[in-house]
Amino acid sequence: MATITCREFRSYLAPWMEGERSEDAQAHVRACPNCSSVIRDLEAIHTEARSWSASEQDAPERVWTALRTQLEQEGLIRDTIPASVDRAQAAAPRTGWFAGLFPRLPRPVLAGAYLAALVAVAFALSGPVNRRVNEARWLKGTQISTSPLSAQLNFAEQNSSSYVTRSNSVVSASLHQNLAIVDNYIALCEKSVSEEPQNEVARDYLYEAYQQKADLLTQMTERGENVQ
Amino acid sequence: MSTSHFVPAQWLPKSKWKTAGLLVPSLLLCSAVSAGPRRQEQHFKVAAHPVITIHNPNGLITVKAWTKSEVMIISTPASDRIEVDAEQMGNRVDVSTRELSDSVAPDDMRADFQINVPEDAELQIHNDAGNVSVANVLGDMNVETVAAGVDLEDAAGYLSVKTVGGSFTCVRCAGRIEASSISGNFRLLNLRSYHVWAQTSSGNILFNGEFLPNGTYSLKNYSGVIEVRFSPGDSFDLSATSLKGKVNNEAKLTPSTHQRHFMPRWGNALFGTFNEGRAKIEMTSFDGTINILKRD
Amino acid sequence: MARTRRIDTGELPEAEAIRLAQQGDAAAFERLYRLHNRRVYSLCLRMVGNTAEAEDLTQEAFLQLFRKIATFRGESAFSTWLHRLAVNVVLMKLRKKSGNESSLEELTEPDEESGGPRRDFGGPDLRLSGSIDRVNLQRAVEQLPPGYKSVFVLHDVQGYEHNEIAEIMACSIGNSKSQLHKARMRLRELLHEALRAQAREDRKAASAETGGKD
Repeated sequence: MATITCREFRSYLAPWMEGERSEDAQAHVRACPNCSSVIRDLEAIHTEARSWSASEQDAPERVWTALRTQLEQEGLIRDTIPASVDRAQAAAPRTGWFAGLFPRLPRPVLAGAYLAALVAVAFALSGPVNRRVNEARWLKGTQISTSPLSAQLNFAEQNSSSYVTRSNSVVSASLHQNLAIVDNYIALCEKSVSEEPQNEVARDYLYEAYQQKADLLTQMTERGENVQ
Repeated sequence: MSTSHFVPAQWLPKSKWKTAGLLVPSLLLCSAVSAGPRRQEQHFKVAAHPVITIHNPNGLITVKAWTKSEVMIISTPASDRIEVDAEQMGNRVDVSTRELSDSVAPDDMRADFQINVPEDAELQIHNDAGNVSVANVLGDMNVETVAAGVDLEDAAGYLSVKTVGGSFTCVRCAGRIEASSISGNFRLLNLRSYHVWAQTSSGNILFNGEFLPNGTYSLKNYSGVIEVRFSPGDSFDLSATSLKGKVNNEAKLTPSTHQRHFMPRWGNALFGTFNEGRAKIEMTSFDGTINILKRD
Repeated sequence: MARTRRIDTGELPEAEAIRLAQQGDAAAFERLYRLHNRRVYSLCLRMVGNTAEAEDLTQEAFLQLFRKIATFRGESAFSTWLHRLAVNVVLMKLRKKSGNESSLEELTEPDEESGGPRRDFGGPDLRLSGSIDRVNLQRAVEQLPPGYKSVFVLHDVQGYEHNEIAEIMACSIGNSKSQLHKARMRLRELLHEALRAQAREDRKAASAETGGKD
């Protein structure tokens, strides 16, 4: 094991503080009082700073009061649905291209529901080992809600108005074509992952393909397309 | 399909309302006029950093910046069964296209727009088919389409573009750029952006812009071509991986000495530093081709 | 039917509050404010050092947030998005104060050789000398350049991870890590300088005393 000098240690210092401690670095720290003192200083700075968040306080109430007034003045606060949409709803309650204004469901929730379903199916087919760990880790990473699919769809029923939207032929064709493209990629990625289970890059691609599919299905649902 | 065609605003008579001098200075002023069969022109006075949202199913949307503290919307719906609503709430203008009856054929749901905004405006545009082009606007923008192409020129800010099949061209833009698509192609040219994140599945990505110091450039697809162009004076740290495709590199790289070195390598991978490695470039493809080529 | 329903805002989950706020619901705005104002206010306070400016900046950050809320697409965490807005508001203010329009990268000190201080690598242990206490460290933090200060406050004070900071500050994760390290090294230097200055003061006072006695 080569011993390193203090000067060389400087470039090990940043990774050290992030938790990367190579053998050489550890040996040097054990042996060198100066460098270990630097480390103690940096750690002490970090520890002291962390304790500050315990004493954080809310902003004074006058900030909210002033903010609220400004929001009203700018017309950002609307207690009623805008008149134009009210008229439209009265005239054509069941149709209309409203996907952007009042989606049936906030898109992240709907996409999350599709995603959870897709992931559940995929993981059911994959090996039992590490399945739960991978699923939890990945779902956490993508910040998708994990509440059961049925609960989310029920929420959708209760809160949506029943808008049925129709896309024009170009849009409809594009959505279906692209769904086929994504399905194709999912098949290729699944094959790749089953051949090389350790390949993290292939796995990432697979998870992203699921996410794309979920998003696409959501967009299709919003536009009243036949999904599946 | 309706045959109304898009007429550029400068060929049409200006608003009579304006020349009569009846403008009252107030944030909530909206002036509207119809000149021509279904063409509608509206003006809204706004303060700094207005937000303009557009929800349209199909059409050509062109947004340009001007020096007035005003938003002008010229809309041309394709049939009389649809109507364009533009409403102002404080410093926001919301534009949307809606059906007037049940029986509008989906292909008739189309409106074209010519919109002028102050250059610090923030835009949110949803347009499924047709095209969206924005020029010289410097506020943040979020553009979502299905099949419509998106063209941004001389824009800046947080630029976020999402399409399903529409292509995306971004020229001379700055700030932070995020683009995702399934089959759309991306052309990112002459950018001065410090953060680019572009992901498409079957589309191609061409990046020919500046690599700013500390900038991050992440380009990813499943298949197709990802290409960047560089000059001898550029400085970047490169990571290029294609699981099943080729990586063609013309840059003389020195091998990296930092963490990435320890990651397992899959497929065809290339890691290295060009000059001082100040920008970070990441190119990933599943089975596409990655090209790192010299600028001619 | 078509009207926005009023919900007891004390229990409104954030995702719902965002959706309602996008439709202009006042109670939803208030809920989002209550959920996030502490973090934002504390960030502003650490960055500018006084409550009056911090209050103004907090108000400005939330105002911008509520103006833009329709553009929130739900693809990143809401709090990350809000903090990005808040950091931008603060940095704009600091840039205006210092009078130049430099980019974020230029608001930090020029690149030194990575990982090392310019001098004084050794030196007395700051903990043992009692220099790392709240007041001294706060003073030192106030002296950091804005870029270092932001990353330090977000990471060491507020506990954000580097990937979150990268999103908030629009930089790379590597950048966030290196800025944090430089910030801590700079703080260490500042604390040492303060120690030395204090020691000089003490010596002067001591020699004045002995000089005076005769």
